[in-house]
Amino acid sequence: MSDIFDTLSVLILMTAFVLMANKKVKAYIKTFRVQSALIALSAGILGVGAIVDEGRYDLMVVCVLIVILKVIYIPGLLHKTYAGIEYRTEKDFILNIPILVLMSCSLVVFTYFSLSASGSINEGGIDPQLVNTISVTMIGLLFMITRKKAIGQIIGFLEVENGIFITAMFSTQGMPFIVDMGIFIDMLTAVMIMGVLVFKINITFESINTDRLNKLKG
Amino acid sequence: MSFLILAVPVVAALLMITTRIIGRMHSISITASGTMLVSAIPITRDILAFGKIESSFMGGILYLDALSVIVLDIVLLIGFLACIYSVGYLNREIILGAFDFKRVRFYYALMFSFMFTMLLALSVKNVGIMWIAIEATTLASAFLVGFNNDRYALEAAWKYIIICSVGIALAMLGVIFLNLSAMATLSSSAQLDWTALMDNAGSLKTSSVRLAFIFILVGFGTKAGLAPMHTWLPDAHSQAPAPISALLSGVLLNSAMYGIIRITAVTNRNMGSSEFTGNLLVLLGMLSILTASVFILTQKDYKRLLAYSSIEHMGIIAVAIGFFTPASIFGGLFHMINHSLTKSMLFFCSGTILQKYGTKQITKIKGAIKLLPYTGTAFLLGLFAIAGTPPFSIFSSEFSIMSAIFNEGDYIIGSVLILLLAFVFAGIAIALFRIFYGTSGTETPRPGEINMPGTIAALILLLMIGTMGLLMPGQLEELISNAQNIIYGS
Repeated sequence: MSDIFDTLSVLILMTAFVLMANKKVKAYIKTFRVQSALIALSAGILGVGAIVDEGRYDLMVVCVLIVILKVIYIPGLLHKTYAGIEYRTEKDFILNIPILVLMSCSLVVFTYFSLSASGSINEGGIDPQLVNTISVTMIGLLFMITRKKAIGQIIGFLEVENGIFITAMFSTQGMPFIVDMGIFIDMLTAVMIMGVLVFKINITFESINTDRLNKLKG
Repeated sequence: MSFLILAVPVVAALLMITTRIIGRMHSISITASGTMLVSAIPITRDILAFGKIESSFMGGILYLDALSVIVLDIVLLIGFLACIYSVGYLNREIILGAFDFKRVRFYYALMFSFMFTMLLALSVKNVGIMWIAIEATTLASAFLVGFNNDRYALEAAWKYIIICSVGIALAMLGVIFLNLSAMATLSSSAQLDWTALMDNAGSLKTSSVRLAFIFILVGFGTKAGLAPMHTWLPDAHSQAPAPISALLSGVLLNSAMYGIIRITAVTNRNMGSSEFTGNLLVLLGMLSILTASVFILTQKDYKRLLAYSSIEHMGIIAVAIGFFTPASIFGGLFHMINHSLTKSMLFFCSGTILQKYGTKQITKIKGAIKLLPYTGTAFLLGLFAIAGTPPFSIFSSEFSIMSAIFNEGDYIIGSVLILLLAFVFAGIAIALFRIFYGTSGTETPRPGEINMPGTIAALILLLMIGTMGLLMPGQLEELISNAQNIIYGS
C-alpha cells in the first residue's frame, strides 16, 4: 500500500516540476488539473481503505469534492477569467526556465535535509512522502514569486494549497472532516475573490502584470 | 446560550441584503453591534465566575476562556464603535457622491462577515477551525481593503490577499505538524483542541511541536504584521476606509496574535522552557520595532504612520510574550488592549481628517485643531498616547513590560527596546509638529466637525485610555491575570 502512495507522491512532485517549466497560462491550468486529479486519486485510494477498514465515508466525500472543485470547477473558472481579460503574449517569468527547474531541484534537496535535521519526525528514517509533498508546497511558493502575471500567482497559491492538503492527507490520514470542509470553502472563496480582483486590476491597469502594482511604497 | 452571539453578525449581514434604504442599514448595524456588545457583559461575567464557557454544539467545538474573552471583548467594543463611526463616515461619502446604497449595503454586509469570522476564530477550541476562521478574515476583508476601487486600493487589496493567504497556508502546515505531534497520545477528536493540547503538552512529540511552532509563528505572524512578513500591512491599513482600518489594526492583528500566544503556551509547556519560542519571538518582535521605527521617522503619509506604529506595537507584544514571565505576559495582554483602543481612535480621527482635507500627506493638514476642534485634539492626544506618553494607558503597559524585562536581567534587550521606542517617539513627535504647528494654509476647508457620531466614538475611546492609564478596573485586572494563568500555567 505504501508503495502506491510513494509513487503517487512522486508523480505529484513531477507535476510541480512540469508546472514550473510551463510557459503559457493555459498550460498552467492544464498541469494544475492533472495535479489535482492525482490528489483526488490518492484521496480515493485512502477513502476506499477507510470504508473497508473503519466504515468511514469522509475521505471518499473529500475525494469527490476534489474532483468537482479542483479538477473541474476551479480550472474552468480560471479559464473563464483568463479568456475575459485582454490577451497579450508577454514573458511571464523573471528567471529563465532551466534555472527555475534547477532551483526547484535544490528546494527538494533542502526539504529533505531540513526534515532529516529535525530528527524524530519519523523515527528510523525519513518519510519520502512527507519530503515530496512539502517540496510541492515549496515549489509552489517559488512559482508564485517568479511569475509576474496575477493569474500565475493564483495558480501558485493553488499549488501551495495542494501541497499542504496532500501533506495533511498522507501524514495524518485526513484532518477532521469539518476542517477539510472549511479548507475547501476558504479555498473556493479565495480563488473567486482573486479572480474578481484580477478582472479589476486588468481594467484599471490595462494589464495583469503585477510589476505595475508598485505605487505603494515607504 | 452565550454562543448565540455568533449568530448576530450573520443575521445582520443577511438583513442588510434585504433592504434598500440606507437609514435602515445604519440602524441594523448599530442594533446588531450594540446587541453583541451588551451580550458580552454576561459572557465576561460568566468567565470571571466559572473560568470557561463550553457548549456541546457540534461535538463541543465552541469554547471561551479568559484569554479568548479579552480579545473577544475588544472585537465587540471596537466593532460597535466602528459601526457608530461608519454612520457619519458613509453619510459623508454619500454626500460627496462616492457611494450609493448598493455600495453601502456591500460595505455593511462585508463588515459584519468580517466581524463574524473574527468572533469565530476566538470562540473555537479546534486549531483547524480557528485556522479556517483566520483565513476567512482575509477573504471577508479583501474587498473592504480595496473598497475605493482605485489603483492604490486595488494594489493594496491584491498584496493583502496574496501575502496573507500564503502566510496562512504556511500556518496550515504548522497545524498539520501539531496534529502529527499529538497522534500517538490523543484520540483523533481531541488532537487539535487547545485544551487537550495544553493538558497533555508533556506527551506531545517535541520535534513536531517545534516545527509546528515555527510554521504557525510565520503564518499567523504574517497576519499579525510581524516583520519581515509585514509588507501587506501599511498598504492595506492606509488604503482601507477609516472604520475598516480601525478594525484591521485594532482587532484583526490581535486575533492573529491570539493564535501565536496559544501555540507559544503549548510549545513552552511541551519543551519545559521558553528558550526556543522566546528567542524567535523576541527576534521577530525586535525586528518589527526596528523596521517600524525606521519607517515612522521618514513617513510622509499619516495613515501609513499609524500602520507602521501598529507593526511596532505588535512587536512589543511579541517581545513581551517571548519573555514568558508572569509579569511580561500580563503586560503584553494589557498592552494588546491599550493598543487596540488607542489605534482605533487614531484611525477614526485620521478618517475624519482625510474626509476634511482630502489628502493623506502630513504636511498638508496644517491647523487641524482649528478646523476640527474635537477630532484634531483627540488626534493630537492620541498620537502622544501611542508614542507612550503618560498618563495614557499605553505608557503603563509599556512600563510594566520594560520592568518585567529588566527584572529578568536582560539589560541588553531592554536597553535596545527603550532606544527604539525613543526613535519611534521622535518620529511621531516630528509628525505632530508638522501637523499642528503653524497656521492653516491659504486654501483650506471651512472649520467644523463633519462626523459627529464618529467624533463621539473617538472621544469615548480617548476617555477610556485616559482613565485606564491612571486606574485599572479591578475586574479587568482579574481577567488579565486569569488569562496569564492560562498561558503560563498557574
